[in-house]
Amino acid sequence: MAIPKIQRVISIFWPSFLTASAATIVFFTVFDPHDLMALLDVPPISRLGVYTIGFFCFWALTAISCIMTCYFQRPCSEVNTTCHDYQI
Amino acid sequence: MTTKSKQSHQTHSQDIQDVLYAKREKIYPREVHGVFANLRVLGVITLLGLYYIVPWLTWDGRQAVLFDLPERKFYILNLVFWPQDFFYLALLLVIAALSLFFFTALAGRLWCGYACPQTVWTEVFLWIERKVEGDRPKQMKLDKAPWRWHKFRIKATKHAIWIVFSVYTGFTFVGFFTPIRELAMQFYTWELSPWESFWIFFYGFATYGNAGWMREQVCIYMCPYARFQSAMFDNNTLIISYDEKRGDPKGSRKKNTDHRAQGLGDCIDCTMCVQVCPTGIDIREGLQYQCIGCAACIDVCDDVMDKMNYPKGLIRYTTQNALMGQAVRVIRPRVILYAILLCGLFASLVYSISQRIPLELDIIRDRRALYQENDQGLIENVYTLKIINMDQQDHNYQLSVSGLPSLSIVNQAQSQNIHIKAGSVLSLPLRLSVDPIDIKKPSNTIYFKVMAKDNPALVQQEDNRFLGPRN
Repeated sequence: MAIPKIQRVISIFWPSFLTASAATIVFFTVFDPHDLMALLDVPPISRLGVYTIGFFCFWALTAISCIMTCYFQRPCSEVNTTCHDYQI
Repeated sequence: MTTKSKQSHQTHSQDIQDVLYAKREKIYPREVHGVFANLRVLGVITLLGLYYIVPWLTWDGRQAVLFDLPERKFYILNLVFWPQDFFYLALLLVIAALSLFFFTALAGRLWCGYACPQTVWTEVFLWIERKVEGDRPKQMKLDKAPWRWHKFRIKATKHAIWIVFSVYTGFTFVGFFTPIRELAMQFYTWELSPWESFWIFFYGFATYGNAGWMREQVCIYMCPYARFQSAMFDNNTLIISYDEKRGDPKGSRKKNTDHRAQGLGDCIDCTMCVQVCPTGIDIREGLQYQCIGCAACIDVCDDVMDKMNYPKGLIRYTTQNALMGQAVRVIRPRVILYAILLCGLFASLVYSISQRIPLELDIIRDRRALYQENDQGLIENVYTLKIINMDQQDHNYQLSVSGLPSLSIVNQAQSQNIHIKAGSVLSLPLRLSVDPIDIKKPSNTIYFKVMAKDNPALVQQEDNRFLGPRN
């Protein structure tokens, strides 16, 4: 558990930021926001707006997977300690 | 919960808390002068100069370098790239990665020490900090001092300058993606669109946070390159090293005494190399992944050696083999291979861009019907053609089809003079017919060819399927 807090926070938000950026670039290279908006029948906003929203949706998704990775990394012994506490 | 287990649990979590909340020791890198410091300043001025000036340059009445995201077009001098040109970007990224391998194999983390945006912007922030707060001892004293008006004023000034600089950096960043002159007008009149203002402040905040607060932690915790650098190093890679054989045993001594007689090495243990290190490591402990290769320790140690009248280079760029007293081969198969690959890829990028035809043709078959028979008994297929004129001038195009003997275009007149404006897309519905006796298979390959009337070199051909009944 000897991981500084800053490293923990970074290990969630930074890799997810990188993958979300890559995903945004690839996704919006293939799909034009105007076509997407026409397809989904949503009120029109600027392309820059769609890129922004798209980026944050990707970031939220990738951050969730990073959070879960961190969560499942907890050593078994520590999970057991918590279980014992609740049994008594 | 029993008292004992409660106690042990508390101690346990207390330990974790201590580790999790372990306060980072702030690093105050001492100012350094020398050959490598000058090189870094040169790097900072060149790179940041390019960053802040390039978006303001014009070419043919438009911004010379503009990655126009709202219009989905990238302008680089006289070239215009479309999303369809993604291949070039991919190739460019491969070249960038290979260059990193090449330079790392050759001379370690040159990128980190001289060209990484994190280093470059941190260098500017450190410079501002020094101008406002003073040198390293003054900064340390100020941080230890209680919060009084004097301290508050100095800190507020520093942060104000940092923030203004960061916002301008964010503004420039967005200026690469939307026309910067319009952006400047909107910024000035405070009429920015919400998205653009968001990205200006987002990038500004990232600059302020990374270069002002996070600094070496970005390199230590966030940089993937730092972690895998050892895979690219070998015994012939130039790295910054402390010459242990010459320096040890370390120890202080009076100037002009015979330190060898005292059983001491050349290192006077002044810890200057530690004080100048932006990541706060001691290079004398050997190569560490925190070392960003900035060579500040070389500069400062050379100064000390001069003062002591010892030869320079106790800390220097050298290879593992040289330190071990073995032969050094800087030019080796690995480096040659990287160089060949790099040259090959770069040449193919330049060649393919020079041969690039600024015309794109996409064909979509109508999915509603496989085929239909018209009143003359001919078999018809329907397509939609998407023709993109990626050139910077208007063109008239003509379309031809081939692949089946009696294949012809039903709306012939429309397809012989297709006018498309510069940088525009045209959607053209197209109906093709074939005599049923020519259809031997249910699915036949046919070819569409679009050619500019004024320039036969502007030509694109695509294939698609023509479906018919089973004979």
